[in-house]
Amino acid sequence: MLFFLQEGPAQTGNYMIAGYVVIFGVMALYLVSLIVRRRNSIQDLETLQSLEEKEK
Amino acid sequence: MASKPVALKILDIITILLLLVATGLVFFFAPLERVMGLVQKVFYFHVAAGWVGMLGFLVAAMVGGIYLARGERKWDIVGLASVEIGMAFAFINVVTGSIWARPIWNTWWTWDPRLTTATIMLLIYAAYLMLRSGIEDPDRRARFGAVYAIVGFISVPLTFFSARLFRTIHPVVIGTNQPGAEGAFDMTADMRLVFFFSLFTFSVIFVDLLWHRIRLGQLQDQVEQLKLKFNV
Amino acid sequence: METQKIEKPAPMIETVLSIESPPARAGFLRALGAIIWKDLAAELRSRELLSAMLVFALLVILIFNFALELDAQTRYNVAAGVLWVTFAFAGTLGLNRSMAMEKDRGCLDGLLLAPVDRSAIYFGKMFGNLIFMLLVEVIVLPVYSLLYNVNLFQPGLIVVTLLGSMGYVAVGTLLASMAVQTRTRDILLPILLFPVMIPLFIAAVKASGGFLQGIPMDEIWPWLNLLLVYDVVFIAVAFMVFDYIVEE
Repeated sequence: MLFFLQEGPAQTGNYMIAGYVVIFGVMALYLVSLIVRRRNSIQDLETLQSLEEKEK
Repeated sequence: MASKPVALKILDIITILLLLVATGLVFFFAPLERVMGLVQKVFYFHVAAGWVGMLGFLVAAMVGGIYLARGERKWDIVGLASVEIGMAFAFINVVTGSIWARPIWNTWWTWDPRLTTATIMLLIYAAYLMLRSGIEDPDRRARFGAVYAIVGFISVPLTFFSARLFRTIHPVVIGTNQPGAEGAFDMTADMRLVFFFSLFTFSVIFVDLLWHRIRLGQLQDQVEQLKLKFNV
Repeated sequence: METQKIEKPAPMIETVLSIESPPARAGFLRALGAIIWKDLAAELRSRELLSAMLVFALLVILIFNFALELDAQTRYNVAAGVLWVTFAFAGTLGLNRSMAMEKDRGCLDGLLLAPVDRSAIYFGKMFGNLIFMLLVEVIVLPVYSLLYNVNLFQPGLIVVTLLGSMGYVAVGTLLASMAVQTRTRDILLPILLFPVMIPLFIAAVKASGGFLQGIPMDEIWPWLNLLLVYDVVFIAVAFMVFDYIVEE
């Protein structure tokens, strides 16, 4: 807590960068998971639908 | 799979633009805080993420109630979607808070009521997802999920209140929790603008992600129905 | 052994079924009594639930003794925490068992078929679990007093134990009846239960600790109020949503 004594703002740039890496990182990860799951579901759906066609 | 509706496309573009503007505001417009320095800039998105987390859990509890009343599948899809998004943002909230606390409070973690409540909330919704994954029957999964979303959400204010009471009787060693605690600061007009803009941006992000997640949920539901039909 | 198992549900289904379209309130109370009674009767015959909970509770205290090196001073400060952790762990054991029994022997289906109000089933199971929990506490508390030479017999502490156990079984019964219907039943209950239970634990530990350390009443009241609020809120919520848990 030494920074309360020092002149000017504390040097905390690295923490800010870490913070924003987490923020954008997690959001990006979530987006990727959405895309991947969507693709998998579409594949599953197509397979199942072709199965359904065959049964008819 | 229906193709992406135009409204959603427009919303996507708006969301991306808003996020870009908000990020720009945070880095280039918001003034440097006198004491804390750059790390204070985490605050804008940190609070916004926390807000989206709460919003997600609130929506989940509300649609849980609607599901129980009406029993329509779509409400369950909305519920799961908002819990998932809420968790992602609550996680951002806790981690960025911890990163901010390291230089300001000189510790990664303290048992402050807000921190404690946020973490317990994450655990509650992790339990929610585990509960769902343990049930095969979609109808039962939806009912149990709705019930747990309601019970969990009601416990959150009680947890916060008890953690707060706990702390006021037992003072914390590092950083006080009184109003005007260490790391508090007065927002200037510019800061306030950036803050509210971030809140707004994240709310739009929530709506956009929710929409996408609901579409995914509908797709998964379709797949599951077909699978049940074929008994695979 | 096998035949005994099959026989067990029979008496209670008969009792419950024998209530023919009764006037609402009397029927409710009678159903409630019947459900509590059949749990107690089954337990009296086998004694497996209570003995398991008790032995487990004593083991937890034993482990705490070595883990925390409970010397004379610490003993007083941590007694409340140790006690409530013990109750919580023993409680999950009991809850899981009592609901799993219903599920496995098909009693739950029998109960659901019976023309009784669903909330009677909930309150019946809840009071049954409460009785087991209190029985365990009635034995654990004196044993703890004896082992550690801490006087736990204070009216305040007993009130806290009652209120805490009420809240615990209110939520516990609801969540346990969900957990036993899932694939991961035994593992799931504590995971579902503990995060929701945290305010109750904090309040119960602080209030019991307050009584043990002789803290002035006006510092304990907030915790007692919190316990009360928790109990009322969650009994009401559980009562409202229980229908959806057992619906089939």
